[in-house]
Amino acid sequence: MKLTVGKLLADRRDFLELFPLLDGVGYDKELNNSQIHRPGLALAGYTDRFAHKRTQVFGQTEISYLNSLDDVQLDDCFSRFFSFEMPLMIITKGLLPPAKFLEYARKNQTAVLQTNLSTLEFITRVSAYLHNIFAPQTTIHGSLIDVYGVGLLYTGKSGIGKSECALDLVERGHRLVADDVVKITKKAPEVIVGQPDEKLGHHMEVRGIGIIDIEKLFGIRAIRVQKRIEVEVRLERWEEGKEYDRLGIDDNRTSILGVEIPYVVIPVSPGKNITVISEVISMNHMLKVYGENTAQRFIRKLSDDIARRNTTLNYLEADME
Amino acid sequence: MVKLEIVIMNRLGLHARPAAQLVQTASKFNSEIILKKENLEVNAKSIMGVMMLAAEMGSKITIIADGPDEKEAAEAVAHVFNSKFGEE
Repeated sequence: MKLTVGKLLADRRDFLELFPLLDGVGYDKELNNSQIHRPGLALAGYTDRFAHKRTQVFGQTEISYLNSLDDVQLDDCFSRFFSFEMPLMIITKGLLPPAKFLEYARKNQTAVLQTNLSTLEFITRVSAYLHNIFAPQTTIHGSLIDVYGVGLLYTGKSGIGKSECALDLVERGHRLVADDVVKITKKAPEVIVGQPDEKLGHHMEVRGIGIIDIEKLFGIRAIRVQKRIEVEVRLERWEEGKEYDRLGIDDNRTSILGVEIPYVVIPVSPGKNITVISEVISMNHMLKVYGENTAQRFIRKLSDDIARRNTTLNYLEADME
Repeated sequence: MVKLEIVIMNRLGLHARPAAQLVQTASKFNSEIILKKENLEVNAKSIMGVMMLAAEMGSKITIIADGPDEKEAAEAVAHVFNSKFGEE
């Protein structure tokens, strides 16, 4: 997605308490990364590693430095500083730069926005917005449901019953995030979050009925706007002779946008209730998160029993009585 | 894998009824069929997905079919587009 200064203003003007110091200047310039730079050193003359393509934030330090310079020094400073192409300049705390600063910015068609926020608060708020826009995104054909607070992503071929499963779960009090098309954003190195497409919202298509609105039918408690994806549930047509996981001791993992999450393959056959299985998948996942791996504990206990029995047998065999 | 490019020619674009018609056709095949518009990719067998494209007249769609009957699948889907869904 293209992010221009104008779009940033339209989206977040109030939240970031922005006020344009040069109305309309540089609004069409594009921001192409989510990073912020404090240009103190560049203003002072050290421009070797000046990260000029980032959003430049001027705080108290930068502005009082500029105010300490006389006209000749300012010209010297700005002719060098403005020779770099910058997407956007922000001045925090409602401060005003020297008039010359705005002259140079206008000549270079670079937007200058003022905010009433402190530098730290501004950077925190704008970073969240920028990270969200520049975060890696993908769409997946599947359904995302919050089951007991765990985000289950259902995937599988069309007609396998993803929507029906979602409907069943909603009926049992779980919350639908998205059906059919899930928009996935990588929000942090290990976090992927799913959302519905804006146009589709919480609508769903059920074969034989058509398009239904889950929020209207089941109420606000049946939906969720976004949810972290924690487990992928792959629905497959049950095949005679195919082998399915019977122990659950191997942790199968899949990767979405470079984030690894566990997956389970669930064979489905007509009339099979995957709702209860889904609830168990969620609860089992929670147990694992809290450090309890049932399958592994069970297997360990079995091995211990076998080992103990061996020692008893050895003892009995060696017993001369 | 078979790729075909088409342009939407009916005046109303890919609205609900054409979307349903398209999905019905796509669902007859075993191959995976993907419709791509700009950088948006959706499953051609999913009606919500196809409607999400909200493709207007003149927009370019790439049909990508992959599977045992990919050639027939891509051609059948392209035919639905090219026949303007039976509309003018």
